[in-house]
Amino acid sequence: MVLHARRVAFTLALGYLVPTLLAAQESTTVGGYGEIQYVNPSGPGTPATLDVRRFVIYLAHTFSDRLSLRSEVEIEDAKIESSSPLGEVALEQLVFDYRLADRFTLRSGLLLVPIGIINETHEPPTFNGVDRPAFDHDVLPTTWREIGVGAVGMLPIEGWSYRLYLLNGLVAAGFADADGIREGRQEGQAATFANPSLTGRLDWVRPGLRVGASFWYGGSTAGDTALGSGSFDAPVTVLSADGRYDQGPLAVRAVFAYVSVADAEAINTRYGTAVGSRIAGGYGEAAVNLLYWIAPASTQRLNAFVRHERYDTQARVPAGTIRDRAFARRLTTLGLTYKPTWNTAFKGDYQIVRNAAGTAPSEVLSLGIGYQF
Amino acid sequence: MAGAVARALILLFGVATLVSRASGQSAPPAKVSASLRRVFAAGARADTLVIGSDSVLRVTRGDSLLGYAVVRNVKGKDQPITFLVAMDAGDRLKDVDILVYRESYGGEVAYEAWRRQFRGKSASDPLQVGRDIHTISGATISVNAVTLGVRRALAQLVEWHRSGALR
Repeated sequence: MVLHARRVAFTLALGYLVPTLLAAQESTTVGGYGEIQYVNPSGPGTPATLDVRRFVIYLAHTFSDRLSLRSEVEIEDAKIESSSPLGEVALEQLVFDYRLADRFTLRSGLLLVPIGIINETHEPPTFNGVDRPAFDHDVLPTTWREIGVGAVGMLPIEGWSYRLYLLNGLVAAGFADADGIREGRQEGQAATFANPSLTGRLDWVRPGLRVGASFWYGGSTAGDTALGSGSFDAPVTVLSADGRYDQGPLAVRAVFAYVSVADAEAINTRYGTAVGSRIAGGYGEAAVNLLYWIAPASTQRLNAFVRHERYDTQARVPAGTIRDRAFARRLTTLGLTYKPTWNTAFKGDYQIVRNAAGTAPSEVLSLGIGYQF
Repeated sequence: MAGAVARALILLFGVATLVSRASGQSAPPAKVSASLRRVFAAGARADTLVIGSDSVLRVTRGDSLLGYAVVRNVKGKDQPITFLVAMDAGDRLKDVDILVYRESYGGEVAYEAWRRQFRGKSASDPLQVGRDIHTISGATISVNAVTLGVRRALAQLVEWHRSGALR
């Protein structure tokens, strides 16, 4: 190949060549993720099912170098029909970002609560196991999104970054014994702002390592004066810590969370529920990439992993509520994740499900396909 | 309550607009020359070579050639990431600099601790995430995009240099 180089004056050349790269053009990006699952629980009366669990279309638009929009529309369980309890179409996020500086972005819209790992990063190739950890359903109510405003950015000290949002609050009427605060989410639908809530996250990052701490604090009365008339009455506090270590063939992650429902007694009396006053637990997971040794030059991955989850949605119950030990759950998941590319995954796992009451022990075999782009 | 929230929002956007005006749009070429001074030390001068549809910055101090650099964009999750790749006169990667990062997650690719891994690499190194480049958990897309962009830019610079297109 014969190449001809032409020298141009520095200022002139930079004047027309580089700025086109530095200034973002108005543009629209389409992306998405999805997962198909085969789930086969042990025992009679629980037949195996195949499900297009999630199909998500991702649409983003850059309005200017500073203002951008990001959205995710999700179809769950392939379709919605009035005859079936399954199926959902939902907006998972709708985020306006106004980038003021490298260290400060103003964010508004339907935002993902920045707690734990899976809530913000839930694309199937990013986690091992066919389904998301059960902990990220029953303790941290993934995908938890609410409407509000906040700020995101990096701190002046390298390695530290933050997010801080003011969002609409939870609704205590939805709280339950088995999945805690999950159905108290408003998810951007005719949400009440009776209980403005604060949530945030602090991250510390080194190559291969990320450690984060996150919180939520806010009332949950949703205007029901039986629980109090103050904005912060019937408060819910969530504290969580998470870590991810990724080095060579090894990938380790762990999450812990503690949820306090301070007025659980009043909530249970008012709504006839049995929500725990304390919900707590976590999980640890270790994975090794077997191809690291079998095919060192390959960019593919074959992860063998084991995850242990342990949590209790009635770790403590208020007076008048009888504690059910079946809500103290232990799940061990063993499996393989084959990733021909970093953004596709073929998964298989075997899950052993137990609880402290010793009721309904079960084993579940799952297979799945997941992608993102 | 709703009134208070509305007032808070108006205040927030008011402050945002003021901050935005005060910081202004920094002139892009200044950002590039500042980056080159950081990478090649003060006193470095650059002129531009045009090769086909690409432009390469040739960096010198006095009569001696320090190396070459290119400015490129790669797509992150949905925004372009603008970065600079600098190579020394001996075809070794001198440094990588993130000039503009616009994505909502993954800005950690701008961290010195991550960019440091690229220094001294040659075109024969794998430059692959999970091999000689450590990933950053929670910034996978940006890490993969920038690493691929750097690998391509270095390969091109080396090829142009060896073919005599860069002098």
